[in-house]
Amino acid sequence: MIRSIAVAALFCLGAAAVNFQNVAHEAGLTDSIPNGGVQSKRYIIETTGSGAAFLDYDNDGLLDIFLVSGPGGTNRLYHNLGNGKFADVTKEMGLEHTGWGQGVCTGDFDNDGYTDLFVTYWGANVLYRNRAGRGFEDVTAKAGLKQDRVRYNTGCAFLDYDNDGHLDLFVANYLKFDFASAPKPGENSYCWYRDLPVACGPRGLPFDRNILYHNNGNGTFKDVSDASGISKPDHNYSLSVLTGDFNHDGLTDIYVASDRTASILYINHGNGTFTDEALPRGAAFDDNGKALSGMGVAAADYDGDGWTDIFRSNFSDERETLYHNRGDAEFDDVTLAAGMALNTRFVGWGCGFLDIDNRGWKDLLLVNGHVFPEVDRLGIDVHFKDRAILYRNTGAGKFVDISESSGPGILEKHSARGAAFGDYDNDGAVEVLVNNQNETPTLLKQSTKPAGNWVLLKLEGVKSNRSAIGARVRLTAGDRTQSDEVRSGGSYLSQNDLRLHFGVGTARRINRVEIDWPSGAHQVETDLEINRVITIREKPGS
Amino acid sequence: MMRVISTALVLSAFLARAQDDPLQKGIAAFNHGQYAAAQASLEKAPDSPQRRAFLALTHAATGHCDTAREELAAEFAKDAASDLGRLTGLALTQCMLAGGDYDDAVPVLARLKALHPDDADVLYQCARLHMKAWNDTLYEMFRKTPGSYRVNQISAEIFEIQNRYPDAISEYRKAIEKAPAALNLHFRRGRALLLESHSPENLELARREFEAELALNPADAAAEYETGQILLASQQAQEAVKHFERAVAITPNFPEALQALAKLHLEATQYAEAIALLENVVRLQPANESAHYSLMLAYRNAGRAADAAREQAELDKLQKSPQGEFTDFLKKLGEKAPKQ
Repeated sequence: MIRSIAVAALFCLGAAAVNFQNVAHEAGLTDSIPNGGVQSKRYIIETTGSGAAFLDYDNDGLLDIFLVSGPGGTNRLYHNLGNGKFADVTKEMGLEHTGWGQGVCTGDFDNDGYTDLFVTYWGANVLYRNRAGRGFEDVTAKAGLKQDRVRYNTGCAFLDYDNDGHLDLFVANYLKFDFASAPKPGENSYCWYRDLPVACGPRGLPFDRNILYHNNGNGTFKDVSDASGISKPDHNYSLSVLTGDFNHDGLTDIYVASDRTASILYINHGNGTFTDEALPRGAAFDDNGKALSGMGVAAADYDGDGWTDIFRSNFSDERETLYHNRGDAEFDDVTLAAGMALNTRFVGWGCGFLDIDNRGWKDLLLVNGHVFPEVDRLGIDVHFKDRAILYRNTGAGKFVDISESSGPGILEKHSARGAAFGDYDNDGAVEVLVNNQNETPTLLKQSTKPAGNWVLLKLEGVKSNRSAIGARVRLTAGDRTQSDEVRSGGSYLSQNDLRLHFGVGTARRINRVEIDWPSGAHQVETDLEINRVITIREKPGS
Repeated sequence: MMRVISTALVLSAFLARAQDDPLQKGIAAFNHGQYAAAQASLEKAPDSPQRRAFLALTHAATGHCDTAREELAAEFAKDAASDLGRLTGLALTQCMLAGGDYDDAVPVLARLKALHPDDADVLYQCARLHMKAWNDTLYEMFRKTPGSYRVNQISAEIFEIQNRYPDAISEYRKAIEKAPAALNLHFRRGRALLLESHSPENLELARREFEAELALNPADAAAEYETGQILLASQQAQEAVKHFERAVAITPNFPEALQALAKLHLEATQYAEAIALLENVVRLQPANESAHYSLMLAYRNAGRAADAAREQAELDKLQKSPQGEFTDFLKKLGEKAPKQ
């Protein structure tokens, strides 16, 4: 019955068929990314990696690919050759590195015009400075980002929380873990899943605290976690990070999806301090007031009311969560009403809003896969490797699950983790890069170009940080106004294209683009062309 | 039981004086779990209430309950509130359970529980009593009425607890085939289907089960509520409302149904209606975290910041309590709402 409703809804919308295919192999992404045990996992550290990124490291206008690896391999950087193929340039770009890699985020922290890279680890994080697209230099120590103990760093994001034009850095911490003291599968009540002894945690393992580093503007950072209040929440297993000005006060707030505990919404007070207001603002729990197992997180103004909404992927036997921003960063859990209540057999990870047919409404894709390979022994409908989920936005505040009819790429089964969203061939359709555990990555691309028109906005800060992270855009084309924001981090421990993609349907021109820069400048551009990448440079004082 | 007795006993002060006194020597040996030595020493000691009590405890510890029971009962009756009384009570119930005398154990454990309500050993023995009774009755049921639908029903309930939902669903089906008019079977099968999966197929199958339950018993508020929840998940909010309203009409103090209605009012920005319903729910269930959470958001959305802050404080208090997890566990077991 649900299926017949979905088909009817599609007919009414006149939506075209969607056909995602996995083109990773043809694109040259043929290396498997190791991440812990294949048949079973003894420790939680084997279950959480790793992220993926789209970034244009050499400013050639084409998105390159970065994949984070667990031990037994190296992180990998693939250069976009421009013909649908990528070449592995990890070694020559100085990015070979092994360890328990977790997350990745990008941003031009030194404002030199080249996008830098930050990679989180269980162990020591690494800040790579981009040397004019010719290589990366590990500047972690020089930047003052060495940590004095082993930490389980997960999601990260560059943000300019004090709007001084220099990108600061937020790093989520999952929990305190070390191999020597970690309990083994079955050792206590937190080491079981439906009668199976499995890797222990997160419950039963000690909490850790999140970190905020302030950019001093001279290539160094200062840990301001305590002074800023970021380290205050101390009962959360933090994973993914989403930044955004959720209450439109011109200051970047931080949302953190937390596993088995309340998610965090750090509200930025503008004086260098934050407080966690997730509970009163309705973004900590589900609509029953229950903490879910937050994994990935994504943002979009999915209903076109001008306010940024939040989607969070969760564990199996839980619903996904769609928080509608009713204004001023007050959220309501509208998962049920929006039509997202049915997919409770998936463990969701990377997620993102994307306009699959360029109609001007943001759809939603999330990738899945259970944490324990052992779960397959149970013979239940929860699987270690599972398909993705694709929801079409009806434009009326509701989503329809179109996964089964959206092509073989969506239906392929993997134990997916990080997912990055970006248009790597600049054809107006957003592709999805997925980091799968102990497999080659997935690169989801539509087999046919979406029908609607589009535009990709590349913003460049001048007084604001060069990456324009934190810039908010309102775009009007035809009778629709859409909004979005430039973000570092997001999804599950991943990095999306820093450019903003807008589908504009049948509109032939972009009537108006309004930009609120982090510097406070308000810039308006009018009458822009469609179906192209447009670079907009900040006009200070505008 | 050895562990119960030895860990519970901390009588180290006696050890120092145990060198020559056979009574103290016997008690010390008992505390070390050296029951043969304890018995030898205690039998040499002059007669005293303490000697008799520890000798009985030693007999109980070595499985000679027949010898021990009378003395244990006497000591327990004398001073059940003392440490020795607690010990003899525990040993006595252990002997009774071992002998299958559950009816005799019930009043002893009830007294122990009244005197030592937070005592882990006492609560453990209570749990064992019920577990033994459960096991024995179950065995009897399987032996005497193997073909009855109740055997399938109880099997299904056990499978549910073990998370073996497909097996549970199958057993409920067999029970329904044998007793099509029996109440609660369709409801439990519907619940098991929902526990197995929230796939559209399972939702539809579960909805049919709840409707079948309602056909048998139109006054089943829980079945009305579950039907409403499925319709809600299937984007049929208007239809769902009717079922929630019927559930409340049948059972006016049905917290989950009241809350479901409140959430729909909240969604429709009918804050006054939502608040009235939720205030009723928290009155009915002051420890209901979910209701306090919904009420906090309802106040917030209605612009009643002070009331929202008060609810948040209440929620903070409740979330520190471990009760939530156990409540969730009970819900998973498929218990219907209370007072139905």
